[in-house]
Amino acid sequence: MSNQKKRNFQIEAFKHRVVVDPKYAEKTWKILEHAIHEIYNHNASGLSFEELYRNAYNMVLHKFGEKLYSGLVTTMTAHLKEISKSIEAAQGDLFLEELNRKWNDHNKALQMIRDILMYMDRTYIPNSRKTPVYELGLNLWRDNIIHSGKIQSRLLSTLLELVHRERTGEVIDRGLMRNTIKMLMDLGSSVYQDDFEKPFLEVSAEFYKVESQKFIECCDCGDYLKKAEIRLNEEIERIAHYLDVKSEAKITNVVEKEMIANHMTRLVHMENSGLVNMLLDDKYEDLGRMYNLFKRVPNGLSMIRDVMTSHLRETGKQLVTDAESSKDPVEFVQRLLDERDKYDKIICQAFSNAKTFQNALNSSFEYFINLNSRSPEFISLFVDDKLRKGLKGVSEEDVEIILDKVMMLFRYLQEKDVFEKYYKQHLAKRLLSGKTVSDDAERSLIVKLKTECGYQFTSKLEGMFTDMKTSQDTMQGFYANHPELAEGPTLVVQVLTTGSWPTQPTITCNLPTEMAALCEKFRSHYLGTHTGRRLSWQTNMGTADIKATFGKGQKHELNVSTYQMCVLMLFNNADRLSYKEIEQATEIPASDLKRCLQSMACVKGKNVLRKEPMSKDIGTDDAFFVNDKFTSKFYKVKIGTVVAQKESEPEKLETRQRVEEDRKPQIEAAIVRIMKSRRVLDHNNVIAEVTKQLQSRFLANPTEIKKRIESLIEREFLERDSDDRKLYRYLA
Amino acid sequence: MPPRASKRKSAPPNSSSVTSSDGRSVSNKAKTKGMDKIDRLFNTYANSSLGVIDPEGIEALCSDLGVDYTDVRILMLAWKLKAEKQGYFTQDEWQTGLKALGVDSLTKLKKALPELEKEVEEPSNYEDFYIYAFQYCLTEEKQKSVDIESICELLNLVLGVQFRPQVDSLVEYLKVQNDYKVINADQWINFLRFCKEISFPDLENYDATQAWPLILDNFVEWMREKQS
Repeated sequence: MSNQKKRNFQIEAFKHRVVVDPKYAEKTWKILEHAIHEIYNHNASGLSFEELYRNAYNMVLHKFGEKLYSGLVTTMTAHLKEISKSIEAAQGDLFLEELNRKWNDHNKALQMIRDILMYMDRTYIPNSRKTPVYELGLNLWRDNIIHSGKIQSRLLSTLLELVHRERTGEVIDRGLMRNTIKMLMDLGSSVYQDDFEKPFLEVSAEFYKVESQKFIECCDCGDYLKKAEIRLNEEIERIAHYLDVKSEAKITNVVEKEMIANHMTRLVHMENSGLVNMLLDDKYEDLGRMYNLFKRVPNGLSMIRDVMTSHLRETGKQLVTDAESSKDPVEFVQRLLDERDKYDKIICQAFSNAKTFQNALNSSFEYFINLNSRSPEFISLFVDDKLRKGLKGVSEEDVEIILDKVMMLFRYLQEKDVFEKYYKQHLAKRLLSGKTVSDDAERSLIVKLKTECGYQFTSKLEGMFTDMKTSQDTMQGFYANHPELAEGPTLVVQVLTTGSWPTQPTITCNLPTEMAALCEKFRSHYLGTHTGRRLSWQTNMGTADIKATFGKGQKHELNVSTYQMCVLMLFNNADRLSYKEIEQATEIPASDLKRCLQSMACVKGKNVLRKEPMSKDIGTDDAFFVNDKFTSKFYKVKIGTVVAQKESEPEKLETRQRVEEDRKPQIEAAIVRIMKSRRVLDHNNVIAEVTKQLQSRFLANPTEIKKRIESLIEREFLERDSDDRKLYRYLA
Repeated sequence: MPPRASKRKSAPPNSSSVTSSDGRSVSNKAKTKGMDKIDRLFNTYANSSLGVIDPEGIEALCSDLGVDYTDVRILMLAWKLKAEKQGYFTQDEWQTGLKALGVDSLTKLKKALPELEKEVEEPSNYEDFYIYAFQYCLTEEKQKSVDIESICELLNLVLGVQFRPQVDSLVEYLKVQNDYKVINADQWINFLRFCKEISFPDLENYDATQAWPLILDNFVEWMREKQS
């Protein structure tokens, strides 16, 4: 030792002085090899785990991992080759059983081997990047058994055969299948997929192609779908029981494609049993099944929807253009409501209330309801009928339901302003004749219309109700102020504000003296409290109740129109009156007078007058007498009420013209509104914006809009841009 | 030139000059001999009591110029004079117009007519002249449209040379259709645009969704029906 600097202490690793006996490795390996044999021969119980582990450990420690590993490979391979032979030898059904049994054995052996060789697994194997023991065991099994020439194809065909048998109704050993499939899955997903799944899917596709062809030839749509559903569920169940869950989507795709997608069109359009027939016959179950099955394939639902839509549009179109049904408006609307209810139920029950189907229903209705230009009028007549008598005795809830359904139809109308016009007319008649079944129902409908269309729509209608109420109060005030009139005829006046009520021409006639005097008193009373107003008597709209005594003393109370009253009162002072005399005395317009006389002289059961000659029509030379022989079962006799009727052709034309006229200022107002805010706008955009603004009332015609624009240009509200002819400019 | 405001007088316009003691207009005293000549020419045709050239005077002027009363060149002259009222020329209008033309005698005026034609046909002036022609026909106060009969004549006169086929068809249509009894300024200006922009007679590039006046939409439809 020299006198040098201090040296750092170094602690050296403690090394075992082990004797590296060259034969040592071989000896140790032999022990392990023997152990592996024993394990494979089910003789593992005699082995000492600790000893074997130590041996393996030592080998690896002394750098004999390579030997150990390759020895393992060789040994296992040899065993597997033996096993392979025994599996091949198995006959028929025993093949799979044998395979399974050997697989289980192998697994158990592999576990033990792995445990023994754990040290190698953790050190030598990662370092030398070799396959770990367990995985190695699986790979060897795969390569030597599964992929062995004799086994591979036999295995596949056996499995497929079993599946096929099960599909044809046989019962198979599912447990065996499950284990086999699990084995394949354990060997790696590519093994499962290549050695089973892919062929399985191909074969299944073929199977279902054939089956679906067979079914479609002999089954009707409903049955076919039932069968398809059953097959689909079977496959899903099969997956659950013994296949990889990842295969579910793939196999269901196959079934969906082969059984549904490929035959979709044919099924839907199948004669006598296809979609249209199902819809017509309300086959909810079949429709629901179709919906659920078609949902699974691309474009399935849209096909159902399209067929339903075109069918609905077709039937709807027939419904509204059918001349017969147009004869009875109430019937017409009821059929529309029924149709809508039907499809609502179908969509609800069979199509899981899908929004797209609801939309298809709505757009179809909107399409065909507007094909008949009288739809707005008819819907108003339907409501009129209901409010006059149809809703009598119906519970409040049911009334609401019916009104809501009517509102649904109303929403489909493009010409809502036409509806408004008719509704006003019909409402006026109902109010004035006191013929409404329920005030609450009337108001409820007004509220619904207001919610739908805004205040403007209903303000006049509400005005009409207000007038009725105010008139009642006015009458009370009148009689309170004139107690002396309590003895005479009772007057009931309804004061209608012009503008709220549908315009009527004011026709006066000569009232009987007593009435004329009474009316005058009322007029002065009213104008006394409301100076600055003007009252015009609407004699064509009133009614009267008069007591009559006939020849044999029969007494009746007659409920008649004002005109009729005027005519009848004349007979208090004369027994015989000619047409001309009546006309002169009453000054009722000729056409109204004729109808009035006709209703009293020519109608059975209401003939309070007698006419000479006894013809059906009223001639200007006819003479009239009181019918002394008049009889009626009832004390009160109603003669000719004013009922809302379907308009005659000329009336219809007139109403339509008025509606068109009313639209012009609305269009102009819309144009001005838009131009005022935009200042400059091009033609197409003006049309688009105006149409949008007026949408809730009616569908504006682009030609009409153009006319209005030109009129506004002429009146210098707008001008065309000097450079770009398509632009309009607002002139302040 | 922007369209004129629709201000029309119902009576013939008043002469704007004042006569002095020697019978000659005060406003002329300071002017040159040229102006004198113009004035004298004016007085040849003017109605002395009204102080303006009235329709009779214009007729006489036309015959002196060798031009028909209904000739388009008279209309062009009126445009050049910026005459406000159809059938009348005021002294102011006469003076301004003839000065602009650079003429002071009848012969010079006659010679100036072809040049006037060329001037009107210049693209920058043509539309202006075209609009003027319409407004010249608005004889009543607050009148905004011209009857179909007059429009047809006007179209012939003003557009006939350049757009003969269009004018012929359009005039035929206007006479048979019932939708319009009069034509307004907006429709009038669009007739010109139609002739200029739309290929005729195939009408290929006519698009009814563009902002053409409705009368032209109807005209095109009528044409197409005729052609098929």
